[in-house]
Amino acid sequence: MPVDYILTTCPYCGTGCNFFLQVADGRAVGVVPCKTDETSAGSLCIKGYNAHAFVNHSDRLTHPMIREGDQLSKATWEEALQRIASEMKRISDEHGPDAIMVLASAKCTNEENYLIQKVARAAIGTNNVDHCARLCHASTVAGLLQSFGSGAMTNTIPEFENADCILVTGSNTLEAHPLIGTRILKARDKGAKVIVVDPRDTPLSRVATISMRQESGSDVAWINGMINIIISEKLHDEEFIAARTTGFDELREIVKNYTPERVKSLTGIPEDDLVSAAKMYASADKAMIAYAMGITQHSNGTNLVRALANLAMVTGNVGRESTGVNPLRGQCNVQGACDAGALPNLYPGYQSVEDAETRSKFEHAWNRKLSEKKGMALTNAFDKALTGEVKAMLIFGENPMMSDPDIGHVERAISKLEFMAVIDIFPTETVKLADVVLPAACYAEKNGTFTATDRAVRAVRKAVDPPGDARPDWQIACDLGRLLAGDGFDFASPEQVLAEMAAVAPIYGGIDYERIEEEMVRWPCPSKDHPGTKVLHTESFKIGKGVFAPIEHTPPAEETSDEYPLILTTGRNLFQFHTGTMTRRSAKLQREAAGPYVEINTEDARRLGIIDDASVRITSRRGTITLAARVTQWIRPGTIFIPFHYAEAAANRLTNNALDPTAQIPEYKVCAARLEKA
Amino acid sequence: MRLAFEERGADYLLAIKEAHGQAAPVLLRKGDDAGTMRFDVPYQMTMILTNISRFIKEGRIAVVARRCDERAIAELVKRDLLNHDNLVVIGLACSEEQIRECRCTDPCPSSADIGHCAAPAKEDQAASSIQSMPLPDRLDYWIDQFRKCNKCFGCTLNCPVCFCDDCLLEEKTFTPEKGIPPGLAFHLIRAVHLADKCVECGECERSCPSDIPLLALRKMVNQDMKRMFNYTSGDPERRSPLLTTLEGDPMEDDGDAC
Repeated sequence: MPVDYILTTCPYCGTGCNFFLQVADGRAVGVVPCKTDETSAGSLCIKGYNAHAFVNHSDRLTHPMIREGDQLSKATWEEALQRIASEMKRISDEHGPDAIMVLASAKCTNEENYLIQKVARAAIGTNNVDHCARLCHASTVAGLLQSFGSGAMTNTIPEFENADCILVTGSNTLEAHPLIGTRILKARDKGAKVIVVDPRDTPLSRVATISMRQESGSDVAWINGMINIIISEKLHDEEFIAARTTGFDELREIVKNYTPERVKSLTGIPEDDLVSAAKMYASADKAMIAYAMGITQHSNGTNLVRALANLAMVTGNVGRESTGVNPLRGQCNVQGACDAGALPNLYPGYQSVEDAETRSKFEHAWNRKLSEKKGMALTNAFDKALTGEVKAMLIFGENPMMSDPDIGHVERAISKLEFMAVIDIFPTETVKLADVVLPAACYAEKNGTFTATDRAVRAVRKAVDPPGDARPDWQIACDLGRLLAGDGFDFASPEQVLAEMAAVAPIYGGIDYERIEEEMVRWPCPSKDHPGTKVLHTESFKIGKGVFAPIEHTPPAEETSDEYPLILTTGRNLFQFHTGTMTRRSAKLQREAAGPYVEINTEDARRLGIIDDASVRITSRRGTITLAARVTQWIRPGTIFIPFHYAEAAANRLTNNALDPTAQIPEYKVCAARLEKA
Repeated sequence: MRLAFEERGADYLLAIKEAHGQAAPVLLRKGDDAGTMRFDVPYQMTMILTNISRFIKEGRIAVVARRCDERAIAELVKRDLLNHDNLVVIGLACSEEQIRECRCTDPCPSSADIGHCAAPAKEDQAASSIQSMPLPDRLDYWIDQFRKCNKCFGCTLNCPVCFCDDCLLEEKTFTPEKGIPPGLAFHLIRAVHLADKCVECGECERSCPSDIPLLALRKMVNQDMKRMFNYTSGDPERRSPLLTTLEGDPMEDDGDAC
């Protein structure tokens, strides 16, 4: 047929919109929204409409390459795979398997992430497997596991539309999760109150009922302040607290000290606004909290997540429709990569590698002895490469040379490695430093599943063939697994991989391709006759009772000084995505936001003599970049913002690798910086 | 299927079918297994048709078309953007609910091959309630609505009569905003640019993720076109009154200019 319409899942954010890839003459030529899709309901954002654009780009990697001196030279698949396997074996023999770090990918499918962690654990013999969830929601997974017993979004995307109040913090929802943002707008149009707390005025905050701009890194203070007001106004849900939670008295003691006056001095939020917001949130029948990187990417990220969980539980806003604590996951399959066990401490389905009984279950399933030692986080791996503990990295579809904090540090660490193999679709900044490069198929060229931010497992369907000799990551992982381990990697299709994953991960127990082909299933789904779960924690929490955590405000790891007087925060814009690998190769997206810029408040700009579009130099304790100034009233004075998409002025040259002690997530959202005319 | 291939001699059929539990566009050839056809979900078939017609080198395409599709096709044929000889139109009558949703005053296709024609809607409540506002309130209303725009271009991409190669909305001179929402010019350019083409299919409003009442805006512009020029888009015979020479005569040649 000259034209086909292939239903698939968007490769950008974690909303999980489905659309039809329009295929003509064997090429992806367009995107048609799917009218009946529950999540996207016939709409898309500009990235979704352009999701076909990079697929045919001439920069796609089309053949394996092996480094010879300064150059990467064309090689056969057999040569390249053998080279990776022999280097892995050599390094494992000489230094032990823990000298190898494996990075899985939130751009890969569930099946691929399952296989990649299996390569690490069962073929190489290390729990050193991690992926970019470490950089985005590691603190969510850790924090919500402690508070509720499950680290995922408690409710679902369509429920936003029916909430009475939505508190959005640290999320530029209309740009980063456009179709969740527009659900919030629909709720607003129906009369719901929208509260936005963010150091920047976002497109959503400009239409919100209350918008509060806090100083970056002061979030515990305003959250505790709201809880304090709620309790003193007797707006807390005593029945819920008594029946379903523990630790309330300790929480009450702590939050007493967060009076509106004190909160104002810590955050800059006016007292009246805080009181109104607290009453508004607590008085609503159904109130939802949505948050993203502005909460998680802090050196106290886990505590911040727990503080939000406190707020929801105090008001009884958990376990019902259109309530809950809702982390918005940023990658098409970052939820699924976590679910599939691409984490150094957890097997597939959030089962601890340190628990002997669980380990023995996996040893039995995979038919080999597994490491008892918890693996290394991505953010620690580069430190350990510098000290020589990590000798090799196997990287599937990640670009740490752009995405990780303090890139100079990453670059020095990579130069110390004995061996690095990268599997990707484009010649990224990281690919350029690799010893072996394998060309991968992109989302449009393979079958599999992505799990959206609201736990919906969605089909990814092959629409076109990969370019040149490129292969899907699941085949590459199977090939490497076979070369390193012999057996356990003989899968003929992603469907067989999901079947094995479902057998070992009870939350996916009832999910199979037959169901995914025809319906939307959200985990937990323990059996084939189980309908899947929309709202978590309805009767009781996964851990029985919800746990209040008494959290104190702590300042960020790096504070401003005379030398570095501004707070730098980073994030996304609507038109580009992450390290720009795909969006900067999509003409219409690139046209909308072509080059790097820094947002600076009008007052700061006047004081420094900076006009709009002037070239400026930004310096932190770690590096310097030069880019254009965007003078705007939409950012707090004293704070500057740089989107992290642009390699020519990479924001992560500046950011701080200060880590949250529990989740090892870096503090992308606060570092001290200086701005000068360039 | 039988109607398209046997009675009307088409080589392809563009329709909507059930796939993976969803309503999906499909291009079929004679003898293909259509599975379950669906007529309940209003996809913008003219837009889908124009996007694929360049890939169909020869043969006639049958398309399941509503009344608004017929009118959109007429606009495209007038501008030589579509060849009517290569098309077979299979008329689909809209349901009462769909008519209500589109506030449609002209719902019945010239030949209702599928479904039965239901009564047209009388007037657009949304448009008249906006028009009843005092002017300053009306401006505030639209500004509040346009603040919700996140520049997905869905209104443009899904529009059957939006066909310029170089879109003015992508032109920095007219929409210089960095980021979202785009300014008023974005919406005003679109409002005016489609004045002599819009067939009120409602796809802009349906595909807008932010529920901006774009169809109401379109209906208001179309009312003005009717009042000022006694012109209704979608008429296969009449040229746009906006395409005139300085002498007031209709233009003869540059009919494909927009």
